Amino acid sequence: MPRRLKRGGGQPRPYALRFVGAAPAAALFVAAAAAAAPEAPKLAGEVDAEGYAAAVAKQKGRVVLVNFWATWCVPCREEYPDLTRLEKAYRDKGLAVLGISIDSVKDMAAVDKFLAKMKPEFPNYRKASGGDDQIFIESVDKDWGGELPFTVLYARDGKKTKVLSGKQSFDTFEAAVKEQLE
Amino acid sequence: MNKLKIALCLAVTLALAGAALAEAPAIGAAAPKFQLTTIDGKPFSLADAEKANKAVVLMFIATKCPYSNAYNDRLRQMAADYTKKGILFVGINSNNTEPEAEVKSHAQKNKWDFTIAKDPGNKVADLYDAKRTPEIYVVGADGKLVYHGRIDENYEEPTKVTSPDLKNALDQILAGQAVSKTETKAFGCTIKRA
Repeated sequence: MPRRLKRGGGQPRPYALRFVGAAPAAALFVAAAAAAAPEAPKLAGEVDAEGYAAAVAKQKGRVVLVNFWATWCVPCREEYPDLTRLEKAYRDKGLAVLGISIDSVKDMAAVDKFLAKMKPEFPNYRKASGGDDQIFIESVDKDWGGELPFTVLYARDGKKTKVLSGKQSFDTFEAAVKEQLE
Repeated sequence: MNKLKIALCLAVTLALAGAALAEAPAIGAAAPKFQLTTIDGKPFSLADAEKANKAVVLMFIATKCPYSNAYNDRLRQMAADYTKKGILFVGINSNNTEPEAEVKSHAQKNKWDFTIAKDPGNKVADLYDAKRTPEIYVVGADGKLVYHGRIDENYEEPTKVTSPDLKNALDQILAGQAVSKTETKAFGCTIKRA
């Protein structure tokens, strides 16, 4: 059985659960959250390579910015507030932001604390434990070496259009998003 | 005349920028040569090291990155095991946020007795297009790059490693075989460039 992650406040889940992956150790689900509750944001679920693709595909019709982060990654923490600001500024213009935490299970308390502090109004998932990270990394982008932070942009048709390696400024994020929204 | 000077300056600047952003050396290509000073104050030359060893393991490492630190014990053990067999381990710290004194105390704390050097201005990281810590490059005795990637696939649990990629590559080199898995990937911390 896939493990369901708790959502803050014991709220009902307004989205369907979906199995992803084949290995029992990575028996995971994608919970495509409509939006996390701003006052108590929690992870929306776990994703493996298939789950990641499904989470992005679900946003088809919108420009999608996916940011890979971890609580132990200082530049990730530094750029994250810019993502929450960007998402608020451009959500009505067609932008969807997804966060993917690379933290391990033992870091879940730090993840909860981080999300509570950042208050993202977009869904964040955790890369599922188990399996070979190389498969996940290459499913996202074949040229990605695994460094964090890492950001991927998709056009409205779901086509990957840009990758940004390392910490970015708000202006860089905004320019990349505007280019796709136009 | 001034226009000519400006054009020349621009050309030189672009050439330097191009060099700094050079692509990563491919497997089988000559590993870029460099010289550094170790944290013990000794000179290190990759060209000299290649001649004196069966292989050289270049490890881009960090003092604060949890992914890199998860391998501290494994690197100490591997360096001890493979140095006896003629393979040289070299730790390179290219993070501009981690000064030499910190690199030195980190090495002492972890009982690392392999060669370690700071990479001022991340010039060596740029030469190899290294992006994260830990990130490994293995250079054969002929000076060619034979392996690039991770130490293994399980940073969290050393006892549950199923794909010891660096170890496999070194064992194949020592056995006179071609490295079968030459490129691997893992998560890691971005190298903090100047």
